[in-house]
This record gives sequence, structure tokens and C-alpha cells, in this order.
Amino acid sequence: MKLEVGHIFINDIQFASESKIENGVLYVDEEAVKAIVLEDEKIKGVKFDIAKPGESVRITPVKDVIEPRVKVEGRGGVFPGVIAKVDTVGSGKTYALKGMAVVTAGKIVGFQEGIIDMSGPGAEYTPFSKLNNLVVVCEPVDGIKQHEYEKAVRLAGFRVAVYLGELARELTPDETKTYETYGIMEGKEKFPNLPRVAYVQMLQSQGLLHDTYVYGVDAKRTLSTIMNPTEVMDGAIVSGNCVSACDKNPTYVHENNPVVHDLFEEHGKTINFVCQILTNENVYLADKMRSSDWTAKMCRLLDLDAVIVSQEGFGNPDTDLIMNCKKIEAEGVKTVIITDEYAGRDGKSQSLADADPAADAVVTGGNANQVIVLPKMDKVIGTEEFVTIIAGGNEHSHREDGTIEVEIQAITGATNETGFGYLSAR
Amino acid sequence: MNTGFMIITNNPLVKEKLGEDYHVEYEELSYEDTLKKVQKMIFQGYKLLTHPLSGSVKPNETPYKSVMLSESPEGLDAQAMQIIASAIQACGKFQFKSDLYKPQVYADFQLVDYTLISSALPSAESWR
Repeated sequence: MKLEVGHIFINDIQFASESKIENGVLYVDEEAVKAIVLEDEKIKGVKFDIAKPGESVRITPVKDVIEPRVKVEGRGGVFPGVIAKVDTVGSGKTYALKGMAVVTAGKIVGFQEGIIDMSGPGAEYTPFSKLNNLVVVCEPVDGIKQHEYEKAVRLAGFRVAVYLGELARELTPDETKTYETYGIMEGKEKFPNLPRVAYVQMLQSQGLLHDTYVYGVDAKRTLSTIMNPTEVMDGAIVSGNCVSACDKNPTYVHENNPVVHDLFEEHGKTINFVCQILTNENVYLADKMRSSDWTAKMCRLLDLDAVIVSQEGFGNPDTDLIMNCKKIEAEGVKTVIITDEYAGRDGKSQSLADADPAADAVVTGGNANQVIVLPKMDKVIGTEEFVTIIAGGNEHSHREDGTIEVEIQAITGATNETGFGYLSAR
Repeated sequence: MNTGFMIITNNPLVKEKLGEDYHVEYEELSYEDTLKKVQKMIFQGYKLLTHPLSGSVKPNETPYKSVMLSESPEGLDAQAMQIIASAIQACGKFQFKSDLYKPQVYADFQLVDYTLISSALPSAESWR
């Protein structure tokens, strides 16, 4: 399966009377995007704002971050099964608006949303500070249940992203990248001497407010499965969860998954990137056993030499991660696992809630308990009301001088477990 | 009401929502003491059915915890003992702040714990 991704660089976003993209500037008709959000009767009101890199702006509480894309050739549309109708995506041609994102914000569950600072020390911990962000702050109708509100905001973000992506349909991309994977036999013949490598992606799937959707299907009701890695570039996987900000995968990360991109970089050179394997992280222990059994079984069936396994979240998923690692290794397939750590504020505690000698190649996204002081910002988009209660904040978070002391788990994407971040030991 | 499983909880919302249809053992305990109660039952041979650290909600940040166990003892399970021990150990590395929130936050924590344990019900009902 072959996909060309055309990049259209967006250097600025401005509100205007007509939505269009011209000379790298995205002009947004506020009334038009407002109408798109308010299509959902569960949303009472919406405010839009623009946050640019380097500004003294804090966005919080952040729910999701989405990169606008449009399918210009080939089957299906962006976000299949969610916005576009169900059809296999991942082939043909797709344009992506690079350098910008749609950020949805607003209180859903008081304690589980994140912070994006556009400048200062906090900005160094979130890759989304480097983007021009169109922020969508939704207000729900009264008496709505949190999971209904989550769904309404989730879908509103995708609708806005698809609307903006459509503006690029007739444009010429600034650059184009091509990604191609092959059938099992075809790949073996093409690269007979290269190790066969797959990417095992674990998806957050622990119930309402903790779910991920694959072609619109709730991942907790799925068996582990195989897909072409190019499918994620068309929005085949979307985020629907409100777990800790630092190590959840916003939709933007699924669209731009760095494990997928780095494996493609080596594809045909040092490895044969065979496929992506999706598996879930359910609460029920027998589900964990079944899903990890299936993942290991597929690794064997595909005659893989090695896999990279990425986790989403902390605690309970540590058990899935270790089960996957142990069982895949037992099939004779080498593993590298990617996780993050909750090693206490001093970094001295046991990092994971589970461990095994088979996990002898581990990449960490960083210690989510690390403490950081965020300066006062001139402007807050959303509300800081929840900073004291989001994961990583506490009653002392708001200090007298206006600064905020939090653990980096409060920052969106800070310890991302696909490596989509800046923390490094280099 | 013999479903083959029961829910150990300190979450009043779980008792309220699930107590009529399922075997719910509610007790007003701390998060850590709820895990210790579960640990004691695992030592008595009750089978651990759901992971005690669920939802990426960190221990000590939420006061509520619900865990599903078999309704009667089914024998000792080394893996379950290890999982519950790690979960109790994890309580120590998070700053305790469950007593610092506004009332609405407690409602949110109750809801999240309730939704997490509810997500296990379809699996439990098809298995037990």
C-alpha cells in the first residue's frame, strides 16, 4: 500500500471573513467554524482563539490536538468511520496542514486534562507549543453527562479539522513524502536479507472517557489486529480519552506517529517494516491475557524478527506492556518497549507497576512526576480553575506570585510514549 | 444474584448504580486500605478479575477504587499476588492529595471509577 503525503506549511492563522489558505496563512471564518461546532445540539456555545508559538499564552484544560488533513486521491476520507464513511484508507494521496493544529479545550472531567504553554519553560515540554493552534473551547448544554460531553467535543474537533483540511484540496503541496509497505510475500522477495520488523501499538481502552477508536470502533471491543501503517496517516485511529495529559496520544500523535515515521525511514535500508499491529489495554485481566496472546501469535505468524511496542498511559497498561513483551519474546521475536516513568518526585521509586527480565530493551519518555514551575502567562485560553486538580497539580499549584508548580504529567505530551516529545538524555 | 463475581469498592456511586444488579461489597475505606482488603482476599484464594490500577488515575490522586474478584475462592494465583503488591507499592510514590478537592471533583472521581469498573462488566458476564 502506497501513500503520498503532501505537506502544506501554515505559518500563521488569522480570523477573516472567508476561510482560505494563501501564502502559508490560514484564514478562518469564525462564523463558519462556529456553525460547524454548533451542529451538535449538545454544545451550547463555542469560542475560538488563536495561540501562536512564543506568545505568553496558556491553553488549559486541553482535551485533544488534531492536524487537519484532506484525502485528495484514493479510497476513503480522513477519520474513516468517524467523519468519513467506512472505507480502507492509507493509499493514494493526502494533504496535511503542517505547523498548525486544532486544539479542543474545556472541562470534561475536572482532573484529567492538560496544559499547553506557548512560551517559557513549559513550552519546552510540549511539542504543541511549536504550532499555530486554533483553539476550540466548547460549552456543553446544561445537565449533560461527562461522556456525552466528551463525545461532542471529540467530534466537534474532527469536524473543524476536516473543514480546514478541505481548504487545501486544490493547493500544491510545499513538499511530498511517499510511504509504501508491501504484502507479506512481496516484502520478503524485495528485501530477502532485511530483518522483518513490525510496530505493536497499544491503545488506551479502559472504558468511558478512556477509549480510542479504530475506524470508529471502540478499541476495547476488538481483538488485536493488523493494519498498514499508512492508514494512521489518514486518521484511522482517533483519541477519545481523558487520561493523563503527559502520556495519552492525542489524535495528532496518531496521525504523525513517530514510531511509524522512523520505521519508514529505515524501511528498505536496514529493516523491512512489515505492518502495524494494534492491541488494547482493557481493565479485565482475562481481556489482557487474550489480547497479548493474540499479539504474540500474530508476531509469530508474520515471521517477524523484531517489534517495537508502545504503551499509552500508566499503571494498568504496564501489565499489558509486560505481558506483550514476555509473550512476544517467548515466540523468538525481539522486542523494544517504549514507556514512561512514574518514579516519584525524586525519581527514586520503581518506575513501572510491572516488570520482567524479558524487558531488556526499554526506551523511556521521561519521569512524569518531575516537578516544574510554570510562569504566569498574560493570557489563558480556557480556564486555570482546574490546574489545582488536574493530575500533576495540587492545592499549592497556584502560588502567590502567579506561577504554577506542577508535575510534568500535567503538560500535554510531556512524556509521550511514542517518543513524540522533547525529553532526551542526549 | 449469583454472577460468579463481586465488586469490592469504597465508591458510593458504584454501590448506588450497581448494588441492585450485582454483588457489591461497599466499605468506607481509604484507597490503599481498599487495595489491602483485596490483597487479603487474594491470599484467601479469591481470583483477581480486574487490574487494581486502572484508568491512568494515579493512586492517592483519587480516593476511590473498585476491584472485581471471583465470588468464591478459586485457589492461589501468583500473578494476582504480584499485581496487587505492585499496586499497593505504587500508592507510596504519589503525593497524597485525595482530601484536597472541591466536591465536584469527588463526583468526577466517583464517575471515572464507576465507568472503569463498568467497562469490565461485559467481559465478566461473558466469562463467569
